[in-house]
Amino acid sequence: MNVRLETVGKVAVVILEGRLDFATAEGFQKQLELVLAGIGSVPPAVVIDCAALQYISSAGLRVLLVAAKAAQRARIAFCLCSLTAAVRDVLDVSGFSRIVTVYADRGVALAQVPQG
Amino acid sequence: MSGRHATVPGEVARLPELTRFLQDFWTAERLPAAQASAFEVALEEIFVNSVTHGSRGGTRVRVEVSLAVADGGVTMTVEDDGPQFDPLTLPPPDVDCPLEQRPVGGLGIHLVRRMMDTVSYQRVGAHNRLRMTRRIEP
Repeated sequence: MNVRLETVGKVAVVILEGRLDFATAEGFQKQLELVLAGIGSVPPAVVIDCAALQYISSAGLRVLLVAAKAAQRARIAFCLCSLTAAVRDVLDVSGFSRIVTVYADRGVALAQVPQG
Repeated sequence: MSGRHATVPGEVARLPELTRFLQDFWTAERLPAAQASAFEVALEEIFVNSVTHGSRGGTRVRVEVSLAVADGGVTMTVEDDGPQFDPLTLPPPDVDCPLEQRPVGGLGIHLVRRMMDTVSYQRVGAHNRLRMTRRIEP
């Protein structure tokens, strides 16, 4: 599991690569906090780019849910984009894709989220 | 009909080993790759559940996973020697509840129920046995 950050204007794009399962969820949560703490200023939006996320289980959903709630409290827009079929299935079945905005790809997400 | 078994101590660190076991089975049986992930999710959720509940008995459980291809689908059985516990008795989570009210957790068994065609629990002697099946689309 790997987490990378890119900033597009003021928007934080967090790129997830690998498998978000019980074994990697805790490390991912710490990486995510570190990555977001490193931005310095509070971004208007966080886009979680899942194009290279191959797998997610309930342990991974829990971390995304914690992040989504934290973003909501901080009034930061939070969304996902570019889901693989396996990840989409889990998000649909869990109801997660009905409570968090999911965009088809990064371009669509960046066009929709608040920029500043 | 063909089958395979793997037995590991009930430690969450053994999860990658079980996932590889499932992936190797999938490849050996020439099953469609895109349909493996539902079983990977079910295996993880049930294994983690076995480890979590099993450790409450004070001793580490052993978990045995069996996979078989039969009747146009795959059957997966996960058996542990922990205290009696039927995860299917857990109440289903409210998946329509808004973000701010959403409890963190309680989703694992729900995912298994929704991603498998059948899920059944049996207490067999001193073992908990969960049996799951799902059709494989050709």
